[in-house]
Amino acid sequence: MTDTEAAAHPTDPFDPHALNTSEGLNPVDLRYVHVLRVTTALNLVPIAIAASVFDALLIRHLEGPYGLITALAWLIAILMIVSFPARRMQRWGYRIGEGQLRVARGWMFRTDTIVPFVRVQHIDVGQGPVERWFGLSHLIVHTSGTHNSTVTLPGLPADLAAAMRETIRRHIQTDFA
Amino acid sequence: MSDAVLSVSDSVGAEPNWQRLHPATLALAIVKLGPRSLNFLPAVAALGFTGNWVWIVPAILAFILISLAFAWMNWLRFRFLVGDDEVVIESGIFSRQHRTIPFDRIQDVGIEQGLVARALGIAKVGFETGAGGAGKENEANLDAISLDAAQALRTTIRAHRGGAAAPVAAAAPSAGDAPAAAPIAEHEDRLLFEMGPRRLLVAGLFNFSLAALAVVGAAMQFFDDLLPFEFNMFDPGDWIDLAGQYGLDQWVIAHRWIAGLGALVSLLLIGFVSGIATMAFANWGFRLMREPRSLRRTRGLTTRTDVAIPVRRVQAAILVTGWFRHRFGWHQLRLQSLASDGGKEKDHEVVPFARLDEIDPVLGEIAIPRPGEEVDWQHSHRIVALGGFVGAVGVTLGGLAAVSFGQPLGWLGPVAGVLIGLGSLFGARFHLWVDLGDRVAIRRGLWKPKTTLLPHASVQSADLKTDFILRPLGLATLVFGVPGGSSLASHEIPAIPRTVAEELRTRILAAKTRG
Repeated sequence: MTDTEAAAHPTDPFDPHALNTSEGLNPVDLRYVHVLRVTTALNLVPIAIAASVFDALLIRHLEGPYGLITALAWLIAILMIVSFPARRMQRWGYRIGEGQLRVARGWMFRTDTIVPFVRVQHIDVGQGPVERWFGLSHLIVHTSGTHNSTVTLPGLPADLAAAMRETIRRHIQTDFA
Repeated sequence: MSDAVLSVSDSVGAEPNWQRLHPATLALAIVKLGPRSLNFLPAVAALGFTGNWVWIVPAILAFILISLAFAWMNWLRFRFLVGDDEVVIESGIFSRQHRTIPFDRIQDVGIEQGLVARALGIAKVGFETGAGGAGKENEANLDAISLDAAQALRTTIRAHRGGAAAPVAAAAPSAGDAPAAAPIAEHEDRLLFEMGPRRLLVAGLFNFSLAALAVVGAAMQFFDDLLPFEFNMFDPGDWIDLAGQYGLDQWVIAHRWIAGLGALVSLLLIGFVSGIATMAFANWGFRLMREPRSLRRTRGLTTRTDVAIPVRRVQAAILVTGWFRHRFGWHQLRLQSLASDGGKEKDHEVVPFARLDEIDPVLGEIAIPRPGEEVDWQHSHRIVALGGFVGAVGVTLGGLAAVSFGQPLGWLGPVAGVLIGLGSLFGARFHLWVDLGDRVAIRRGLWKPKTTLLPHASVQSADLKTDFILRPLGLATLVFGVPGGSSLASHEIPAIPRTVAEELRTRILAAKTRG
């Protein structure tokens, strides 16, 4: 029962690394915050600009509450760009265990996936332009399951991702009938 | 164009082993032109609207001619070669495609015959290579060759597989047989299950469906003016009119319930007839055979299909029943397999309608036996009713909003909300699971009880999901990644204690690869 209660209140959600340590997971690279921040900015700034243009062209024309949409759009965008990435980064965790890869993500809806190495069909190590800028890579593990056919682990230093790929590759078995 | 044709016939002459599809395939192409010509309708409409009526007939003729020419070209440019240990297929009019399929990679050979194909004595042959997630364009087909050739081809490939893989097949554990008898049984075809007309009739009665009613009803609305008689059997008024012709109208108006009864009887009749008809069309002559490496299913009244499900590719067994047919002991067995089943159906229906003692031998063949009566089923937490409650609250609020706008029908909302809430609360008791050592059994559903038997070895990955509702309760949901099946309906055990879920996950993922 004590176990259940410990699980009932696993961590203080505002403590940066408590979630991962309590579950025995490694955190992803700290530079992943910047990757998240830049990609979020690239997505949200155009939307905020579009909202401002819409506001200026239409709402002012209609003599509506001009400025409301612009302010709201930029407020949300700045919040998502400045404040959220750190938290999103902290909620990623991974562990290379004995013969299996464990990847956990999210807090409100937390998903903790385990893929045994022998079940891996093939592995990708990918690097987008923003990730390259910060020297990071992501690891994609493909399984033959319909659910979870790909499991992605972002925010790994490029050399660690390559090393993990080699570790997993040694375990892959061919499963042809 | 004639050059291309010549070069093909030259090379055919040089290599006598190359074979063509059956010439009757061209006749099939004409039949297929029917549905395809729908694509042409907008063009005809455009011609009509622009006033170029004269051109419609020539345009249609040109369309037919061009289509037939293409079908003929396709036929000319398609050839295949059955070698000693591989099938080679060359196709394409302009861009040629050359495909080699080694016999070793062919899991099994499916044979399908539509109505026209049966009349012509030809069959479509599909090679099941078990390429994961292969789309339509990745399928290797011979559409179509003569039925005899198709069966000969299958025998050739199966003989090859049998010779190459006999040690493996003999070594594989074959539950349901005595160990000594297993090697012999591996080499002969046995009938596992079949459906006679009587069983089809019973199955059809349980297949009662009012879905067809909507179609018939809509059709009657639509064709009302076209029908030679003015009669809508869903309209009690029409029944009164009918009675009037026999001088019974006064009596019927006095006894209105007769008219209602007439409508009800025809309603039931349509439901039963459509149920029996769909069942009979799909499952006429249903036979399930055990072959050396696979289960083979033949069925169908108009379109006869012949599908082989390699036993080693079976990932999970799913037993489905209904709350009503369950009382009479009727169940349906589906197998989730890596091999797809002709697109629209994700799982293979291997036993459409049978009692459990008929299903058990089939489950024995794939070594996924049913849990006994004495197993200790575990319950999911009652929180799984929450989704239903959210829906119920939504319906209630929507209904009340409608009432507040002066729509008295809105009161249906709160009533439905209470019913949905009670239903989900009651249904939450029917989320059960049990771990049976080498497989888990998951049971869910109140109206349509569904039991999934999932061997540990089929699980490729496992998610442990918690959220802001489950976490304070110390619960987690286990979701399994299993090959095959629909991506929408993944196998999961909802809302069980977190520690139990973690332990179960560790045990399941430790299992060896299946097969």
